Amino acid sequence: MSEVILQVVGSGVLWGFIFVLSALGLTIIFGVMDICNFAHGDFLMMAMFLAFWLSVWPGLDPMLSLPIVAIAIALLGVATYWLLIRHVLKASGMAQIFVTFGLMIFLRGLAQALWGADYRSITDPLVQGSWNIMPNLSLSKPQVVAALCAIVATILVYLFMTKTRTGLALQAVSEDKDAASLMGIPVQKMYILAWIIGAGCVGIAGGLLSEFYYIYPEVGMVYGFLAFITVALGGFGSIKGVFYAGLIIGMVQALGGFFFGSAYQYLLVYGLYFVCVVVRPQGLMGRR
Amino acid sequence: MTDNNLIKKLWQRPSTIIVTLLFLFLLVVPKIVTGYYLHAVILIIMYATLGTAWNWIGGFAGQMSLGNAVYFGLGAYATACSQLWWGWNPWLGLLLGIVLSGIVAFLIGLPCFRLKGHYFAIATMAVGEIVNIIFTNWDAAGGASGLYLTIKESSLLNFQFASKVPYFYIVLVLLVLATAITIWLKNSRSGYYFRAIKEDPEAAKALGINLVNRKLMAIILSGTVSSVAGSFWINYMLFIDPPSAFLIMTSVQIALIAVMGGMGTVWGPIVGASIIIPLSEGSRMFLGGTGSGIDLVIYGLLIMLVAIYQPGGIVGAVNNYTKKRQSKKKATLKAVQEVSE
Amino acid sequence: MLKKSKKKLAVLSVISLALIGSLFLFAGCGSGETTETGDVTDQEIIKIGVIYALTGSSAPTGLDQKKAIELGGEIVNGDYPDLNLPMAAGEGITNLNGAKIEFVFANSEGSAEKGASEAERLINQEGVVALMGCYQSSVVASASQVAERAGIPFFVVESSSPTLTERGFKNIFRQGPHDAMFGDYTFNYLNSVKNQYDIKTVAMIYENTAFGKDSAASWTKNAEAGGYEIVASMPYPANTTSMNSEVQKLKAADPDVVLAASYVSDATLLMKTFKENNYMPTLIAQDAGFVEQDYFKILGADAEYTITREAYCSDYSAKNENAKKVGEMFNEKYGIANLNGNTARAVQAPLILADAINRAGSADPAAIRDALAATNISCDQLIMPWSGIKFDENGQNQAINVLICQVQGGKYVTVWPEEYATADVVWPYPAWSER
Repeated sequence: MSEVILQVVGSGVLWGFIFVLSALGLTIIFGVMDICNFAHGDFLMMAMFLAFWLSVWPGLDPMLSLPIVAIAIALLGVATYWLLIRHVLKASGMAQIFVTFGLMIFLRGLAQALWGADYRSITDPLVQGSWNIMPNLSLSKPQVVAALCAIVATILVYLFMTKTRTGLALQAVSEDKDAASLMGIPVQKMYILAWIIGAGCVGIAGGLLSEFYYIYPEVGMVYGFLAFITVALGGFGSIKGVFYAGLIIGMVQALGGFFFGSAYQYLLVYGLYFVCVVVRPQGLMGRR
Repeated sequence: MTDNNLIKKLWQRPSTIIVTLLFLFLLVVPKIVTGYYLHAVILIIMYATLGTAWNWIGGFAGQMSLGNAVYFGLGAYATACSQLWWGWNPWLGLLLGIVLSGIVAFLIGLPCFRLKGHYFAIATMAVGEIVNIIFTNWDAAGGASGLYLTIKESSLLNFQFASKVPYFYIVLVLLVLATAITIWLKNSRSGYYFRAIKEDPEAAKALGINLVNRKLMAIILSGTVSSVAGSFWINYMLFIDPPSAFLIMTSVQIALIAVMGGMGTVWGPIVGASIIIPLSEGSRMFLGGTGSGIDLVIYGLLIMLVAIYQPGGIVGAVNNYTKKRQSKKKATLKAVQEVSE
Repeated sequence: MLKKSKKKLAVLSVISLALIGSLFLFAGCGSGETTETGDVTDQEIIKIGVIYALTGSSAPTGLDQKKAIELGGEIVNGDYPDLNLPMAAGEGITNLNGAKIEFVFANSEGSAEKGASEAERLINQEGVVALMGCYQSSVVASASQVAERAGIPFFVVESSSPTLTERGFKNIFRQGPHDAMFGDYTFNYLNSVKNQYDIKTVAMIYENTAFGKDSAASWTKNAEAGGYEIVASMPYPANTTSMNSEVQKLKAADPDVVLAASYVSDATLLMKTFKENNYMPTLIAQDAGFVEQDYFKILGADAEYTITREAYCSDYSAKNENAKKVGEMFNEKYGIANLNGNTARAVQAPLILADAINRAGSADPAAIRDALAATNISCDQLIMPWSGIKFDENGQNQAINVLICQVQGGKYVTVWPEEYATADVVWPYPAWSER
């Protein structure tokens, strides 16, 4: 039993980091401009499809095409801001929620219309197989790579937000956009920057995920919802929060699934989230 | 404002007359409309009811619930389970559904109302998923396969009919009741307080208005009426499974109907359902057969357009238009008066 | 305030109920709908409704079924005298002056509710004389209910939930085996090799849907009857993100045989997770995801040695001319090399229906229903490896057969029963390191 536990925990930690990476972008956008992008999961899906098509032609492995995918999805984020979000910034919360819901349905339909419903996967990825660290612990290489990237990305983004002038300007905008504007910070440019970083992060997540997970139009649904839960649990806007929350969720899913049966693994995740959020409405580390 | 004055005022408004005519028209619809189209009309009316119920918690109380499908599903399952386990009559099952949904609504509302905007929405979605997982794994309640009601002799007591027409009338009554509740709520003190907190949250807080109890009432109302719709649904379809009952997309569709039609308005959800249901059925009919997903593309585009350009919904837009016209009229009248003086 | 508003509510409700009461008198108790189905006279076109998930996660299967059904329609409507299949010779339905069948496809979106809506529409607006479909058993459940109420025959192409033909419906017909039968035959096979491979313990992994649960119920019953020890029974949520804890549990339980019921996404994830953990038990699948094209595309060589129960295997074309020719036609038309259990049944379905319409001698749904009930087609006139088509009083074909197949050389070959086998089974699965 103890040997298996080690494997379960190891897996849970890796998946936890992957959840962190998927959710990082979401929390940044929310932190800066109070918008919850419900189409986030479908940004991930688009990134995965892009990575797939780049692997077909010109035959780049997702690891190599990562920068291209990240930039492309960042541009998608900017386009989303410019064409959609900008118009509902002053509108009610409902309008904001619905505009991204509409985007979600639109992207999903578009993916099916363009590429069909078939499941795709990267044939012969660059990183594959697993490391057998101990006789009872084998870690999937692509998952380890994804986890490492998640850690690096989180640290980089955190440093950017707290140590650089632009990052601090972003934080100022998220605290009080009117005051920030009076101080001479170009609020609109900051918004665009938030979307670039946020969407870029989820683009990287998608590229890494495509290395070992199958790709299809609905893939955004599962990951998207888990990303919301991760962000909500960690506290909208908090990078540290999303980091801890992602790990917690990864562990709860793995251990819960192991002990109670995988039919109930999500029940435990959502239940935990619900209890936490009721006890502490702003999430683990969110602002009040 | 006394009751009589209220009714008089209601009848003087053109919208009331139009809609009453609409209801009367709907009453003769089954003679004209048949088959699949009658089914579509029943769908529209049921979703209008669900949207109206959503309006109380979403539009009036301002709490964006994306989990109303839970109450709908509970109503359906309460009816099905009570019949299959204890041989209960479906009307009793309906009452059971009301009680259950009321309790669940209370349990969700009490801890979650202090969650703001997006947090509340996600919390309701999480509850929806939790209930979905519970029912998918609950074998006695049919588990993933769902439950089938036994086909019984057509009668009101059995809540089953061979033809669609009686179902049409029943769901119409439900919509009328729900609309009546909306009117009552809007003109009640609760409605007044809800509007106050929307217009000027600071002033409302300063006046010490305690909204939690009123919000609880709104969510319980929302849940119980949605549950009745669910009980209706299972007696109509004779089949329920977790995906048809508890999907998040269903909750989103309910909210969308209210928002697109006009959040916080009386007739908004009815208008919204009349547009969204034919749209989703129609696009599936004409484009879905190819399997291309184009219908989803169009659906998504429309939602985005409405959210950006007409967040007040259609009724909201109409109200704005009439207000503008009225103020223009007043301005012209005033100008004429001034000139003639 | 509360009292007055309650009064208003009460008044409104009473008025509404009174109106309804009076209008019941007008509407009468009869049905307000007239179904426009085919006339009993000569018709150029006979419409048949087909419902599948054409969008959503099951769309790949739905779209393949659509293609296969269209091929079946072509065989009926065209003249193929060298095919020994019902209605292949001569164009169209012979007894109806060559009337052609036309399919009206509808998208269930994988949802039971939408499937029922589409069934309504096909019956009442399109005037179809029969319905076919739907892959997902839940969609068949609600769509066939609509059909039963309307007196329209419903032909189940492949959906395998046993309850579909256990509701006492008069208008439902299923040509293929259901999950309980599949489970029985799987264990017939296991029992036949039990001593040879020393099989004592079994484990079950299945998705948490009707399909998975029905499969598990049948396996459990048969395992207990056969004296096997069930060391693990693991339902999991469909479209899961990770199979790691499941594989860990299996590794710990170390069963002789793992029985699996999954659709494509989970099937491929399971196999990949096995590989990552360097563990490969002998697995017998309940086809579904394990026989899809995408399963092979995604796993490539890792799909080798997968064993599944199946309704059909492409090597049947070595023993049956029909299977061979139809397989070639399918490949020529769509570029898909092999028919699988789903597509083979889907090509055959229109033929069985056309045969019934022919014997009915009319396009009247009730007559077609009766003709279907009297169907008696023999093995050599089928594509499927069954002894025939003969529906019992519940509409279930009892003359079915089930194959056990294994992936060898990149495609499935039959390993059991003996009269259909073209290869020997490789048991147990070779370990990953040995491949």
